[in-house]
Amino acid sequence: MSYVEVTGFAKSYGAHAVFEDISFALAKGEFVTLLGPSGCGKSTLLRCLAGLTPPDAGRIRVNGEDITDAAPQKRGIGMVFQSYALFPNMTVRQNVAFGLKMQKLAADVVARKVAEALDLVELDGKEHAYPAALSGGQRQRVALARSLVVEPRILLLDEPLSALDARIRRTLRQQIRDIQRRLDLTTIFVTHDQEEALTLSDRIFVMDRGRIVQQGSAETVYTRPASEAVARFMGHYNLLGSDESRRLLGREVRGHLAIRPEAIHLFAAADAAPGLIPATVTHSQLLGNVVRYRVEAQGTALHVDRLNRRAADLLPVGAEVALHIDPEDLQEVAP
Amino acid sequence: MSAERYHRGVVHLLVVLLALPVLGTLVYSLSERWDATVLPHGLTLHWYTRLWLDERFLLAFWHSLVVCFGTLVLSTLVIVPAVFAIHYYFPRLDRWMNILILLPFAVPPVVSSVGLLSLYADGPLPLVGTPWILLGCYFTIALPFMYRMLSDSLRAIDVRELVDAAHLLGASTPRAFWSVILPGLRKGLLASLFISFSFLLGEFVFANMLVGSRYETLQVYLYNLRNGSGHFTSALVMSYFAVTFALTWLALRFGKREAA
Repeated sequence: MSYVEVTGFAKSYGAHAVFEDISFALAKGEFVTLLGPSGCGKSTLLRCLAGLTPPDAGRIRVNGEDITDAAPQKRGIGMVFQSYALFPNMTVRQNVAFGLKMQKLAADVVARKVAEALDLVELDGKEHAYPAALSGGQRQRVALARSLVVEPRILLLDEPLSALDARIRRTLRQQIRDIQRRLDLTTIFVTHDQEEALTLSDRIFVMDRGRIVQQGSAETVYTRPASEAVARFMGHYNLLGSDESRRLLGREVRGHLAIRPEAIHLFAAADAAPGLIPATVTHSQLLGNVVRYRVEAQGTALHVDRLNRRAADLLPVGAEVALHIDPEDLQEVAP
Repeated sequence: MSAERYHRGVVHLLVVLLALPVLGTLVYSLSERWDATVLPHGLTLHWYTRLWLDERFLLAFWHSLVVCFGTLVLSTLVIVPAVFAIHYYFPRLDRWMNILILLPFAVPPVVSSVGLLSLYADGPLPLVGTPWILLGCYFTIALPFMYRMLSDSLRAIDVRELVDAAHLLGASTPRAFWSVILPGLRKGLLASLFISFSFLLGEFVFANMLVGSRYETLQVYLYNLRNGSGHFTSALVMSYFAVTFALTWLALRFGKREAA
């Protein structure tokens, strides 16, 4: 039986449905990411799970216990907010100790647990600082320690890294994942950043306009998008309409054909073999380890990613090339 | 450079202009006689000692303090929870509150006291002539200051998210308010209390029209002395000014620390 079960969650404000028909199940210790563009309802969903906003319909069970009508205080759910929501009038230690004090634990127990939590997020030495004196990354760690120290059954993270710069974001997300694994903590992570979702998650739930449009492993969601919206959101997919698909690949599709830019093999025209699709390079962009080409083949523009191995292999704009696409890498998506 | 000198000059001139009457009053209150001569005669603290030994003055001062502090306690007890409730539960009401708190400014005290007189002269609540009616009136005077400053303090912190965070950590709403929100309001509250206090201490129209000599406050006392010695009333005005000045200075200090 699943550890967390959500069935039929729905919420609307007036005529506007924020999300509807949300159902999923999580195993104990699973790390799941709710991925979707801003405004798709994922933050509101998180608030409903935490009990901060009442849903219009649906039930949530944790470990077999129905907590749909429980107050947020009684749910055993921890949450890290996008803005951290640290208590500005309290030091780091007081912030972390707050939840333990509410449980009326003895002072020595509180002190020990706070020290452990601060050690876990590598913040020892900052106990007496106020949030205003901390950097963004440090505030984030305090917020994390504060929600971990009360040993929640589920941890909710609402875009916890979005306000940080890229380097700190990468370090911190690895740290969050390590801690989550060590504590075997069932975690729901909300983000609009697909790279974050792909690197962190056991499973990804892609949300679009208030619905979960695909649930699956990072690998599946990335290589086998279930719909056009997922494909658009997951990266730089080439999306071919039915006309283009017929002309270029001789394939009939109902919706769109999605092709990952790195799944297209690109050969210099001299190496061309029969069966390849002739094309012309119209644009090239160096992304570092990858070069992203825009090529035109029979009136269709395609993005092609190619590893940047040697400078000599770089193709100039106007170069005649040939494309090969493995039929396995063609993914038909519903509109 | 010369533009800066010009600006400084204007500011200095303004300060002198504003300070002159106060200085004049101060000198007058410290001199034995100053009538037919250009310069005052004799330096004395006589007026001050007479003032501070006058029981009627002390009683009026006491009355003023009672009414002012009573109002501030009442305002704090009503407005602080109200501001929190509005920002946490009914954020849309903030707009209406901002209109509501302007009403005491829109209606001159002379006008509203006429209405209050006929409303509270007799009937179920005969409050005219008692200090209680001043508590109510002064509440409406303190309300705009306190609501605005507290509301600004609350806007500076994300009330909803802080209370949500406290809830998830096991705190009840009153507990969250007490340990997380109230500390953030403290400085704004103190600053608004000081400003309201100096405002209320100088209030005359309501005090005179609604209560008058039946519960003589400082300003009414001053008014009743208008035919007495000018030196004596100057000493009174200066004493009053010193108290207000000290309080305003305190309020500014708290306000500044809040902003920092």
